[in-house]
Amino acid sequence: MASVSFESVQKSFGATKVVHGISLDIADGEFMVLVGPSGCGKSTLLRMLAGLEEISGGTIAIDGRVVNDVDSQDRDVAMVFQNYALYPHMTVRENMGFSLRLRRESNRVIDKGVSQAARILNLEPYLDRYPRELSGGQRQRVAMGRAIVRDPKVFLFDEPLSNLDAKLRVAMRAEIKALHQRLKTTTVYVTHDQVEAMTMADRIAVVNDGRVEQFGAPLELYDRPVNLFVAQFIGSPAMNIVAGALERTGDSSCVRALGQRWPVETTGGTEGQAVKYGIRPEHIGLAGQGRGGIAAEVVVVEPMGAATELVVRVADVSLTVVTHGRANLRPGDSLSLSPDAGHAHVFDPATGRRI
Amino acid sequence: MNRKLLREARLWLVAIPVLLWTLIPIYHIFLFSISTKDSAFSGKLWPDHPTLRNFGIVFRQEHFYLHHFWNQIWNSLWIAVAVGVLTLVVATTAAFAISRLKVRGGRTVMNAALFTYFIPAAFLAVPMYKAMGTYGLLNSRWSLVLAMVTLASPYAIWVLKQASDKLPWELDEAARIDGATPLQLFRLVYLPLMLPSLVAIGTYALLLAWNEYLYAFLLLSHENTIPLAVGLGHFLASDDSPWEILMATALIYALPPAAIYYAFRRYMVGGLTAGAVKS
Repeated sequence: MASVSFESVQKSFGATKVVHGISLDIADGEFMVLVGPSGCGKSTLLRMLAGLEEISGGTIAIDGRVVNDVDSQDRDVAMVFQNYALYPHMTVRENMGFSLRLRRESNRVIDKGVSQAARILNLEPYLDRYPRELSGGQRQRVAMGRAIVRDPKVFLFDEPLSNLDAKLRVAMRAEIKALHQRLKTTTVYVTHDQVEAMTMADRIAVVNDGRVEQFGAPLELYDRPVNLFVAQFIGSPAMNIVAGALERTGDSSCVRALGQRWPVETTGGTEGQAVKYGIRPEHIGLAGQGRGGIAAEVVVVEPMGAATELVVRVADVSLTVVTHGRANLRPGDSLSLSPDAGHAHVFDPATGRRI
Repeated sequence: MNRKLLREARLWLVAIPVLLWTLIPIYHIFLFSISTKDSAFSGKLWPDHPTLRNFGIVFRQEHFYLHHFWNQIWNSLWIAVAVGVLTLVVATTAAFAISRLKVRGGRTVMNAALFTYFIPAAFLAVPMYKAMGTYGLLNSRWSLVLAMVTLASPYAIWVLKQASDKLPWELDEAARIDGATPLQLFRLVYLPLMLPSLVAIGTYALLLAWNEYLYAFLLLSHENTIPLAVGLGHFLASDDSPWEILMATALIYALPPAAIYYAFRRYMVGGLTAGAVKS
């Protein structure tokens, strides 16, 4: 177990800079998720930590020791790859024991380590099979087993669930999280799936264009996104964003957008300032027609059982609304929306920053 | 149904002549080898009195041209195996360095090696003879081994490099993180996965050396050092060649390559990387 720290880490491929000075501190035993759209530099960051990519600038330290010039094999990290990267000519047992064999451990130690990891991951019946004889989920578990056997300081996961089908992904998500709670090994996990990030992480770093947009606990990012990118990236369905202008009447504020007044609780900003108004789908309440809210028309009704997702139109702009339980609505119905001022977000359209 | 039949018929129409074209000379060799000297040129499709006597003469070295038969076939084998093994060592390490370790300038070296194929091997024979003379290797089996390794290596490196490029890169990374040094990576991960290609290339080099005539003829001249291929050539030195014995020897000489090819045929197409990564 160890802490990990990135200090102004940079990476360039030739003249192209892909990581622009990222600083992050990951605590001992923490489950940290790097999330962002593809090509944002999150995998590169992980590979630099693993020692698979050179670090162009800044430092990376594991347990206080700078590892910039330390070879992969001496960093004491274990990595799980998206495509498993199992050795096809070795059985599950040999795959899992490979790192111990390289360390010239005795057969007794190797057997013990492998069977312990196999027990944790329910791989005992498969130890003598070859990777080609396993299903995708089993292969990914073997890849995790290979990492566990080594008892490394840090676990690295590079989009480990992307190749699995949706159902298996949810199951493996829970398995990885349970594994972490059991082993408490510092973990850095890369994904482009914000649901994975939200459900698994102790803390999330949202990466975009080689920079960290926000670093914090999942619900902190959800409740107080520091900018438009994070606001739109985190949360599913995504936050509704409408363009408008700030309006103050006495001590209450609102945003004038789409010909309507959208209540907010912000104190920053100046009267008349152009803003982007953001509200999450579940923070828009529904009222009957003509109840003084924002008039809208139902376009699509998606009943999901526990909740109902609606697509509504306000002055030609589509918004998503999630309401608990079942809504007795049909496309074309008129209704009135009442956004929760306490959960509304206001952003500067030029910089994207939260006001 | 009819269309399928037509397609198959067309296929047979091409296949049968090609098959005959390849098999008739071999049948001819076989026919000669089981004929007596008198009936060898009778022009019949099957001899009146088929005999295995010719093979007995060969095995007991009972003919003037065959006094060194066992010695020469041993030379052939020794040289072919040495060429196969040495070519594999050279080509495998080169392909690993170029494809997996990405050694700077590796591709240039490979392209330069391939470029030598623009010069016909026959043109290189004289400089090769001169070089071997300078090193005092003429008339030693090593001269032929080194020459053949030189000729086989560029192609071998190229083929193995192509095969290496297809191995998933993540395996190297996983091994590195698992703590493997480049040498361990080579031995424990690379070689086992390359096995099918290695067998194919080893067989290629081995057969190339086994069948070589020109270089063997030039570099080796003593009856005790020449391979059987050159020994067979001596049969044609006289006006009245013992064709039936020559063909019996040729048939024996052709069997080991056929056997080797048959034994390793599954490696020629095999794939071992199934299940390594999600494809």
